[in-house]
Amino acid sequence: MATSRAILVDVTKCIGCRSCEQACKQIHGFPMASEMKLSPTALTVVEERGDRFVRRMCMHCQDPACASACLVGALKKTAGGPVTYDAAKCIGCRYCLVACPFSVPRYEWTKLVPYVKKCDLCAARQAQGQPPACVEACPVQASISGTREEMLEGAQRRILNDSKYVKHIYGSEEAGGTSVFFISDVAFEKLGFAAAPKQPLPLLTASALGDGPTVILVGGSVLAGLYWITQRRAQVALAEAREKSAKKRS
Amino acid sequence: MTTLETTAAGKTTKGFPKISFWRTVVALIFAAGLYAMYARFALGFQASTNLTDSQPWGLWVGLGTLCGVGLSAGGFAIAASVYLLGFERYRPILRTSVLISFLGYCTVCIGMMYELGIPWRIWHPIVMWNRHSVLFEVSWCVILYTTVLMLEFSPALVEKIPWVRARDLYLRWHHSILIALVLAGTLLSSMHQSFLGGLYLITKGHLDPLWYSPYLTTMFYLSAIPAGLSVTIMAIYLCVRSLNARVDLTILSDVSRVIAPLLAIYGVFRAVDLISRDATQYLWMWREETLLFWLEIALLVIAPLVLLNLEKVRNTPLYLYWTSAVIVMGFMTNRLNVSITGLQASSGIYYEPKWTEFAATLATIAAAVVAFRYAVIYLDILPKNPSQRVLALSAPAKA
Repeated sequence: MATSRAILVDVTKCIGCRSCEQACKQIHGFPMASEMKLSPTALTVVEERGDRFVRRMCMHCQDPACASACLVGALKKTAGGPVTYDAAKCIGCRYCLVACPFSVPRYEWTKLVPYVKKCDLCAARQAQGQPPACVEACPVQASISGTREEMLEGAQRRILNDSKYVKHIYGSEEAGGTSVFFISDVAFEKLGFAAAPKQPLPLLTASALGDGPTVILVGGSVLAGLYWITQRRAQVALAEAREKSAKKRS
Repeated sequence: MTTLETTAAGKTTKGFPKISFWRTVVALIFAAGLYAMYARFALGFQASTNLTDSQPWGLWVGLGTLCGVGLSAGGFAIAASVYLLGFERYRPILRTSVLISFLGYCTVCIGMMYELGIPWRIWHPIVMWNRHSVLFEVSWCVILYTTVLMLEFSPALVEKIPWVRARDLYLRWHHSILIALVLAGTLLSSMHQSFLGGLYLITKGHLDPLWYSPYLTTMFYLSAIPAGLSVTIMAIYLCVRSLNARVDLTILSDVSRVIAPLLAIYGVFRAVDLISRDATQYLWMWREETLLFWLEIALLVIAPLVLLNLEKVRNTPLYLYWTSAVIVMGFMTNRLNVSITGLQASSGIYYEPKWTEFAATLATIAAAVVAFRYAVIYLDILPKNPSQRVLALSAPAKA
């Protein structure tokens, strides 16, 4: 995954101009009116937290909970970085919304044929070597994009060289690591960032799923064994009864 | 005259059905359910539910699926007891419990159509696989176990077919695969019950610590069996009381003697789990979650264990019926707590189901109850007493 792409957002640089929101809406053909929260027509929003501006969008986890949850495999982590959504497969179970540790995916509740909506890191643009629309639109380079390694190194350099930064890259270990990173001069929990578990969430269900074959093998053998004992007992009882009645007759 | 005899509680079938209290209730539920169906499928989620991005799963999942599947656990428990473990004692209530499970799974499948955003793609999991998804395993368990239940129950329908040849051929085939069916059903059902709990393993950090546990799978399994058996007790009791069924009610006492230790094991498991996760601090906080947690524990564990400890309760069918009702209420509180209460705080919004959500689920359950009633009346589910009315009619004729 050397070519995996990522975004780095520097909260200290964001001026709250909402150019990223607008660029995102434009490229998706959504209505241009600004929205306060993520919605099916706002895949990224700039939220005001005190005197800071914080962008929200899909974090594009390295091992995404949504992709492990999706029963038909509509959500996938691609080698290039983006977590993509195949609407043609989706059955609308909404388990991805339940599973996401960052509460990002949105559902088209108002529609009769509703789909899940979330940022796809402009996978199509990136495939052509272009940066995501939001990054391209940012006038102050608060959001930048590049390979995941570059972004992590860049973030590391900034927080080490400047004492104003909180000494943590949000996204470096959240949910086992993501492809969108945030650095900030205000504690992340004060900016409304979710305190996501540090391990990849699919690990939590993998152990339960791993038990499946064991349950079938062990459970099946035990049940079959019990059935055999039951049968054997019945046979023995029958034979004994026959013997008794035979003795009586003789 | 046979139809007269087999009709419930000695009521004659002639003429317009009598308007009774329960018929009115069911009619009202169906009317509300019809509107809910219209709202869901013609108007969409927003018109029919209070679901949001923060609460993407609500009453339909919590009550319809989690409770629907859980309360259908009686079928596999009784079938395994009779066929695999040789407890012939429970054979008289076998068909009833399998019928309940089958109808329960039918309500779950119908509920699925309401829950899914794009219900006509319900077949997708059959061809589009993601084996890392708990929901994928769950969907396969539903498909396979519903099929198994249908096959397990089928003789009750097939034996009513008038063509002797076809009937015997089917019944003989059925007999030859029965043990395999029961074995597969036991495994599938066990996995299904557990995996429903497994669905919530991924909500770590969101689900309240009173309920989030790495052992959610085990807990769902351990609680489903006593709850499923309780439903069987309730159903048998009602059949005897109002459908003229003839069952040795001491069987119910024996079932309750199995339920009590199962609930005790479950209670101990929950306690040990809470202590080992260091979550006992949440037990005494003054908040809605904790109150509902204690309601759940009181109804599902404490009250039934106290009641079932009393000889008089164990041996009185009416008391057993009400004790079972308490267990079922406790079970439902637990499933709704895991699926709704426990996720409320992290979602940041307060979810209250819309009335159409209740109406849709209630109508589906009511349909299953009506189907159950007519199955018991017209099929050989339970042995029946000759109806009082027929006796009363035939007595003076003889005199």
